[in-house]
This record gives sequence, structure tokens and C-alpha cells, in this order.
Amino acid sequence: MKLELKNLSVTLSDKKILKSINLMVEDGEFISLLGASGCGKSTMLKTIAGLINQSEGSVILDGNIADKIPAHKRRTIIVFQNFRLFPNMTVWENVSFPLKILGVEKKQAREKALELLKKVKLEGYENRSVDELSGGQMQRVALARALAAEPIVLLLDEPFSSLDMNLRKDMRELVSELQKEYKITTILVTHDQEEALTMSNRIAFMHSGQIEQYDTPENIFKHPVNTIVADYFSKGIYVNGEITNNRFVSELFTSNANKHNGKYKCLIRPLAVKVNKYYKGDFKVASKIYQGDNFLLKIHNSKDLKLESIISDSVDIVEGDRVNIELDMDRLIFIPEKQ
Amino acid sequence: MKDINSNKLLKLFLYLVLFAILTPMIILLLLAFASRWPWPSLLPDTYSLRAIKEVLAPHTKVVSTLFSSIILSLSVAILSAIVGTMTARALVLYEFKGKGFIDFLGLAPNIVPGAIFAMGIHVVFIKISLADTVLGVIIVHLMYTLPYSINIMRDLTKSIGDQMEMQAYVLGASPLKAFMYITLPLLTPGIMASVSMAYITSFSQYFITLLIGGGKVKTISLLMVPFITKGDRNIGSAYALVFAISTLLVFIIIDKIIKKITISK
Repeated sequence: MKLELKNLSVTLSDKKILKSINLMVEDGEFISLLGASGCGKSTMLKTIAGLINQSEGSVILDGNIADKIPAHKRRTIIVFQNFRLFPNMTVWENVSFPLKILGVEKKQAREKALELLKKVKLEGYENRSVDELSGGQMQRVALARALAAEPIVLLLDEPFSSLDMNLRKDMRELVSELQKEYKITTILVTHDQEEALTMSNRIAFMHSGQIEQYDTPENIFKHPVNTIVADYFSKGIYVNGEITNNRFVSELFTSNANKHNGKYKCLIRPLAVKVNKYYKGDFKVASKIYQGDNFLLKIHNSKDLKLESIISDSVDIVEGDRVNIELDMDRLIFIPEKQ
Repeated sequence: MKDINSNKLLKLFLYLVLFAILTPMIILLLLAFASRWPWPSLLPDTYSLRAIKEVLAPHTKVVSTLFSSIILSLSVAILSAIVGTMTARALVLYEFKGKGFIDFLGLAPNIVPGAIFAMGIHVVFIKISLADTVLGVIIVHLMYTLPYSINIMRDLTKSIGDQMEMQAYVLGASPLKAFMYITLPLLTPGIMASVSMAYITSFSQYFITLLIGGGKVKTISLLMVPFITKGDRNIGSAYALVFAISTLLVFIIIDKIIKKITISK
């Protein structure tokens, strides 16, 4: 089901939480709402589901304005971070709850619940009580229950943040598989950029109640529209400069840049900096930090320009060494300065 | 080692509590059947059925009074649980003007001394002709029991919150269904506690029942208290036994009913 938000604003206790949001999610698409906590992601999810009323604008489902449809008739189903399994019911009763509400016969409802439990790989758990489950198992039950309600839009509210690392990866894969199988339009709310980058077709980056950028994972990572978006994915050093006639000129370097004329900030992420050991090099290695797969190198020159670089563990550079740098021009990011 | 020690301590407390509950019960039992119990004998010298016979004699109408007393207190208990649950829900989950004031008002009958409160309300009840009626007694009992019911239900409602209900909404349940299927079963232990608390509070009211009921609304407490204060402890004890046993039976029945309701759901 296609979902569209039009000029959606939400005010809660005199505070503007969402400021005129416009968003379009295609049928069967998987998008992520990415942003730091408190930026309004969860509020947006609840507004789509009808749990919070917007002060302005509309939620449009498949071309029809859904503002007047109450939460229980919208079929926009949220899976919450804390799973919210009903403690007074067993696993299968939880999964079949939406069917019970629809008046499906008990025997049929149980069969359907067992089928869904199989889908989330929880066979044999149907008669357990929910407090006997681990975090990952609860998550699976919550997913199966959401699927039982046959959602037209599935809303996932930070569903993996309470799970440990290994489990998180499994659950991400499971969710992706199910989403593809059922072709449900899905919105994932997350503050984890890796999660957003790996799982979604498109990412909507949110900051203080607004969508800053809405693009594919690759585009949003490589071409962030402003420093807020850029910093969220991977921090780096900004160098101020100016582009004239497709050439970026700064104190540190000049480079080709296919952009309009004007003042720009050039973001240099660690991956864009290559270092070579050279005893007369301009830069000095201030520190070398072990990161498992590689090392993060912090370097600076005589003008106190600080850069970071990533080197593999086989490179023989230690703290105090002098190095030369080489910038990978393709990885430089130019962000126009606000006028 | 630590485990064993704390176990011993727990056992000690258990026995202390048992002692505190059982000793008065045993003395009550002995008193009800004692005929001569001079000091310093540990047990009565002679026993008799005088007190029991007196209590069960047809002219005291103990059975019918007991029955109407139970009905009255049950009505109070159930009303108190319903109003308490709803009030607690409003106080915890909704925002409205004057919330703090209503919160405070709920406690008011417990802050003002009972006698003063009863005198004041009596005048009002006479004016609106609620004095000397069963309804009047029920209402005045409710004022005493509601603070307990509201407080019990408020803490529970707060701990359950509305998260589960929200989940039920998005899964397709209407607000009423979400409450019936999800919240109500979770509230059941609290409702049970609230019913018991209100029942026992109402059942043991003497002064306000006498005042508002004007002696026309008879309860078991009204029959019992004069014997205790007049000094016929044997008859007083016999009434107390009737009081305790009937209350216990009522609680067992309530418990059975509630278990049946929640399990069948």
C-alpha cells in the first residue's frame, strides 16, 4: 500500500514535534526513518498509525485520506521496541489476538498462528507463556502477531535496539526476508545508521521534527545535503573553501568539483585520506587507535590542521612518525555553506 | 550461609504473623464458649453454649441481618471497585483540569475525623432524604472505601500503563475490546484486593452506619458492638465469630468467581 504524508505537523503539549512533514513511500517499499533520539521519529510512526492526532496535514493511504480512520481500523501496525506481548496470554494466543478480534474461529486462528510461528522460526513454542521467552523470541512473537493482523503498512519502532549484537543481525535478516515475502510497505524507525544503510530501499533522515534528506542509502551516504546528515553517517574534518568554475580552492588543497559556484565546506572522511610514511612529511602522527579490523590514525600538520585516516594493521606507521597525505578526490564531499 | 540465615529470619516473621493472627482468634473461640473464666486460669473453668444460643435465637434475627449486611457490603465493595478503577484510570492516563484537586478529594474522608465527617454528611442526607435509607448507608460507606480502592487501582494502573492497550488498538481492537481483553485481566488482582478491602471496611463500620441508617438499616456490626461495649464479652465473641466466618466465606466465593472469569477468558 502506498503511503503519503502531506504537510504533517504534530504539536504535543504546546511543543511542535513534527514540522510539516512530506513523505512518499511506494507500495512494498522498505524505508528507514533515521535520526537521533528526540527528533520525532516515533511520534511520526504513532501519527501514521493513528495513535496521535496531527494538528495539521494528512496521512494518505493508497490515495485516500486516512485521518478519520481510527487506529484500530487503519491496519497500520506498529511493532514496538519493548515488544508489548500480552502477559495474560500464551504465545499462540498473542499471535492469534488480531484474528480473535476479527471473529475468526478458535481452531482456525490457532492454525494460522502456528503457521506464522513457523515463519518466524518459533515452532514448538506456541504453548509457552510470554515471560518464558528470551528477547529475540519475544521479538519474533511480536512480528508474527503483527503479520497476523495483515498490515497494509508495517511500522517498526526501534525493534532491534534492545537485542544484543549477534541477535540483532539475525533479526534484521529475518525482517528483511519477511518484508520481501509479504511485500508489505514498511517503515523502520532507527537511530542506528548501519541498520538504515543495510536494510532499506530509502532513508529519510530526520532532525528536530523535519526531514533533512530522503534518498537511497548510497546517495545519502555519499551526497549528504548538509553537515547534520553528513556527520550522522561518518564524521570527518571540514575544510572551508570556494568553488569557481568547477574547481574547489582551499588553503590545504585544490580539487575538481562539479558544482555551482559558491562557498563550500569540503568534508574529508577518514576513508578519503591515504597516508604514506615519509621522513620529511608535512603531517605528524598524533595517535594510532586500534579498531579491530584496522587502525584509526590521527594526524596534524604545522598549521594545526587535524585529519584522520584509516590504515590496515599491516602498515608500519607508529605514533610520532611523519607522513605525507594523498586525498582520494572521489570520496571528498562538498556541502554548500548556508547563505 | 547467608541464604539459610535469611530463611530463618523469614520463618521467624512467618511465625510471628501467625501468632498475631491466631492468638486473638483462639481467645475469641474460647470466649464464645466459656461460661466461667476466673483469673488467673489459662483456660476457662466451665464451658457453655449460652452465647451461641443467644446469638442464634430467633428474636435477634441474626441470619437475616447477616444476609442483608453481606448484600449491603458487597454492593459497596463492587461499586467501590468499579468507581475506583475508573477514577484511577482517569487520574493516571488522562489529562484534565482539576486533576490534582480530585486526587486530593479522594483522600479527604480519611483526613477529616470520621465523627465530624459523619455529622456533617448526616445533616446533608436528612435534607435530601437519604438519611435512614439503605442507599444513604451505601453512599456514605463508599466515601470511606473509595480512597482505598482508588489508591490500590492507581498504583496498578500506573504500572500497567496504556502501552498494552495502544498495541491492542493498532492490532485491530476497539478501545472497549482492548480494555476487556487486555487491561481488565491485568487489573484483576487489584480489583480483587480492592473488593476485599472495601468489603471489610464497609462490613465493620459501626458509627456511620448507626448515624446515617438511623437504626433502621441493620448490619451485623450494629448487633455486635453493643455487646462488646456493654461488657457481655461472651455474646460479643459469638457475634465476632459469625462476623469472621461469614467474611471468610464471602472472600472464598469472590475468589472462586474471579478465578473462573479470568480462566475462561
